[in-house]
Amino acid sequence: MKALELNNVRFKYRDFQNWALDSVSLEVEKGEFVTILGCNGSGKSTLCLLTNGLIPHAIQGNLQGSVSVFGNNVGEQPVSQSATKVGIVFQEPESQLFCMSVEEEVAFGPENLAVPREEIKTRVEWALELVGMKGYNNRSPFSLSGGQKQRVAIAAALSMRPEMLVLDEPAYALDPVGRLGLYSVLRDLKEKHGMTVILAERDAEEALAFSDRFVLMKDGKLLESGPPRQVLRDPAKLREIGVAPPQVTEVASLLNTRMGTSKFSFLTVEEAERAILEEVLKPKKEGRR
Amino acid sequence: MGGFIDLYTEADTFLHRMDPRVKIVAVLLLSLLAFILSHLYLLLALLTFIFLLLFLARATISRTAFALKFVLRFMVLIIILWPIFDPTGTPVLASLGPIKITEPAVWRGVTSAARVGCLATVWYILMFTTSQRDLVRALVKMGVRFDFGLTLAISLRFLPTFGALIDSIKDAQRARGLELSKGGLLKRSKNYVAVLVPTIVSALRTADTLSLALQSRAYGARADRTYLRDLNMRPSDYVALAVLAAILVLPAFAKFVMQVDI
Repeated sequence: MKALELNNVRFKYRDFQNWALDSVSLEVEKGEFVTILGCNGSGKSTLCLLTNGLIPHAIQGNLQGSVSVFGNNVGEQPVSQSATKVGIVFQEPESQLFCMSVEEEVAFGPENLAVPREEIKTRVEWALELVGMKGYNNRSPFSLSGGQKQRVAIAAALSMRPEMLVLDEPAYALDPVGRLGLYSVLRDLKEKHGMTVILAERDAEEALAFSDRFVLMKDGKLLESGPPRQVLRDPAKLREIGVAPPQVTEVASLLNTRMGTSKFSFLTVEEAERAILEEVLKPKKEGRR
Repeated sequence: MGGFIDLYTEADTFLHRMDPRVKIVAVLLLSLLAFILSHLYLLLALLTFIFLLLFLARATISRTAFALKFVLRFMVLIIILWPIFDPTGTPVLASLGPIKITEPAVWRGVTSAARVGCLATVWYILMFTTSQRDLVRALVKMGVRFDFGLTLAISLRFLPTFGALIDSIKDAQRARGLELSKGGLLKRSKNYVAVLVPTIVSALRTADTLSLALQSRAYGARADRTYLRDLNMRPSDYVALAVLAAILVLPAFAKFVMQVDI
């Protein structure tokens, strides 16, 4: 059973001419961390809204094809039921937190699902600890920084114990420190908790280190899908869809062009350092300069 | 900004600890009492009692003065205007054409002002000692539908957000040369359109995401919703209720059954 299965999905928002998603097929395995890259209007937000049935239940339009999450067709069950499988975090930290305290915010989901009180308490503590917001129980969400708000939003989704977390540009409105905190939470979710994560991003840099797969989207179409190393081999592809490629991969691509090879492919600064040192220190047998 | 909307101040007094439901009932009862009492000295006694409670809740004078500033102005207005519009009774203290100032009317004005003072202060104690989340929780627990409680909570929660939003839109428009405090009333209200339109658009957008967020968190999934925090009446809360009942029942009995003029 796949975590997410999109089968030839097309979607057009009501009163719009163009397909926001056009013939998209995508499968996500359990425990996989998939980063969807694309610029404004690429369809990645639409894809996120499909995963828990907000499309077609809350947002109207013309939907074709099928979307299933852990074997259930989201079009055929209410959003509140899909919500137990898929937690979703939106771009704007301000408008997705609506309670008067952090604790109530995180408890809201399980309360709606009629989870017993003791169990809610345990989940709230667990979720706040996971996102590094332990002890903020009684603070007002309004008084938190952007990064803290997004982490509370993640905790609020996690407290429903979903099997998959979907994040739509969660770092969009954050400062660099907020971003770092957010990405370290996402890394933990993958590495320590084996959570299935779908992350929509317009920046490949940060998600690179812990993504199992990059999916490139443009104008509602899925252009490419594969391991980051393979997708980033040609940074031009990213620039083409309006996404800035990570700087180290640009270095690799430049080295390959200059030296007429294709052996350089590194994703982190450490890898780059190792590969370049190796190249510099190796005895020049062929006499090539 | 926040001080205007949320009067709550954290402290650990018996009034802060009291069950919010008891506090709501108490405020209603004391308000009722302010209407039952018609003698000035009794109302002043009630006002003293209420201020004693305020003092026990550790309200600072500056905070109280700030919160009750408008009420105080209103009270002064009542004391001035009442005798002007109420010419009944004797002796007449002064008269100017059709306007007659009589002694009983002056006292009636002062009495009404004292009553308004009692009402305002007693509600202020409630807002001062009860957090908004406790208030909403108490209302839901007292039988208000959860949807209504949630709506109230969301409104309260987003007031400062929209306050901040309006401020930043104002600043942005001022930076582009919009003058908000110059010109006549018509010109000024016209200029405010430039603030109002972006605010409304942004509020609608926020409401849109909000509804998606609510649904994504399984809102309305089950009728038998549970709650993380419960309100529990402690013995001291029952004592407070009993004391309050006595405070109200005695004067009410005296006034309506025994026909004592109080």
